[in-house]
Amino acid sequence: MTTPLVEVDSVSKAFWIPDEPRHTIREHVMAGFAPRPRRRLPVLDSVSLQLRQGEAVGVMGANGCGKSTLLKLVCGIYIPDEGTITTRAAITPILDLGVGWNPELDAVDNVYLIGGMMGLSLMEISRSLDSILEFAELRPYARMHLKNYSSGMAARLAYAVAFQAVRDVLVLDEVLAVGDAGFKKRCEQRYREIRAAGHTTLVVSHEPYIIGAFCDRAVMLQQGRIVAEGPAADVAAAYLANLVPAT
Amino acid sequence: MTSSNSIGLAWTLIRTDFKTRFHGTFSGFIWSLLKPAALFLVLMSVFSFLFKDPAYKLQLVVGLFLWDFFAEGTKCGLTALHAKSFLFRKLRVPLWILVVAAIANPFITMTVFSVVLVLFLTAIGQAPSLAAIGLFAFYCLSMTFIVIGFSLAASVLFLKYRDLNQVWDMVTQAGFFLAPIIYPLGIVPEKFHFYFYVWPPTPIIEFSRTALVSGHAPSLLAHVYLLVEVVVVLGLGAMVLKRMGPRAAELV
Repeated sequence: MTTPLVEVDSVSKAFWIPDEPRHTIREHVMAGFAPRPRRRLPVLDSVSLQLRQGEAVGVMGANGCGKSTLLKLVCGIYIPDEGTITTRAAITPILDLGVGWNPELDAVDNVYLIGGMMGLSLMEISRSLDSILEFAELRPYARMHLKNYSSGMAARLAYAVAFQAVRDVLVLDEVLAVGDAGFKKRCEQRYREIRAAGHTTLVVSHEPYIIGAFCDRAVMLQQGRIVAEGPAADVAAAYLANLVPAT
Repeated sequence: MTSSNSIGLAWTLIRTDFKTRFHGTFSGFIWSLLKPAALFLVLMSVFSFLFKDPAYKLQLVVGLFLWDFFAEGTKCGLTALHAKSFLFRKLRVPLWILVVAAIANPFITMTVFSVVLVLFLTAIGQAPSLAAIGLFAFYCLSMTFIVIGFSLAASVLFLKYRDLNQVWDMVTQAGFFLAPIIYPLGIVPEKFHFYFYVWPPTPIIEFSRTALVSGHAPSLLAHVYLLVEVVVVLGLGAMVLKRMGPRAAELV
């Protein structure tokens, strides 16, 4: 069996919620730098997960179960309190579409801006600029300021840049359903191409169809713990069953 | 992110910020260059009227511009991470790039000022030697590293202490008078000079004046002191960022 590209080993994460907020030096001085009473909000509890080359793994669960926190940990945006995360490949996170857009700039400059933030070099962006604009169907509007784009146009551009920036591992958080039916179909097609090229993907979605159709296996989180793990279709069905109240 | 990608991203952030600030127009770009040049000429005209000593007014202008870079650069750097927090909460962006990019605009202003100053000195028959220009460039670079060092630490601390910018405003107001900008350091008893030199802008302003206006080179020991100061500020800044940076997304 191949070595996992991403290894999440017994990871726990909690956030500390202070009962008495102190955001300024003045507040700390006034309180004599005494420790604040605070509550521990556990988000993930001993979660283990492995991603191997070419695999597509889905993560499902109700709101607040820790899905997005898990992705942010995998992407290195958060650091775990306990456990370890080992990454042996470059990760491209798409946790939100259009993060960092500058509405005062045109599409070309925004492609450079977002592409750079997603880890593309200037050379790579220059080389792929045409295909990005082509995919987003925005070539005639390339020099239009983003503030004049419709939300659909902006989302198409965001997708086009994100899909171009894919490294070894693609991490997607609830972003596989945007635009009209035609664009959605092309996004799904692009996703399949990425998979066919051997990339590994980690997908968070509330949509059983997306997990069932685009992932090989999946995990279901409940209150920060993995409660179901297995073939994607089975986990998606379990998630759906979990949503239906018992009669 | 590889180092070449990081440099590419820093360049894109600086370029797009510059473009946004001046609406991407050529006149905007020219105005951004003319502004420090125009301010230089206005200050020189006013000081010529007020002060008879030609060396003093030049020293004053050098001090004011270097101070302006320090004050403006640290102000922009301090809020850099907070202003771009929407990025590092969703993407893994090297935080130092966001800090360095935020200082670019004051840096450009200082660079234009430096060119105008050298041209002005040449025009009035006091052309600085190549060595003096080289030393001045070294001092400007030292000031830049000090501003970066401070900003690396302050920008991440600002995420936790939201009134740090107000505290820093007060410090810079007091610091303006601690640095020998409007008065010569010579009026201060020599035994206190060391304390004045601990404030980073002081040695840079003093050495720049010595090299450019007086035409002398500060001693080797003075340069060693400056280098140590730069390394300490930059090192401390990098250390604080390294320690607090990984949890920056949780602090916002």
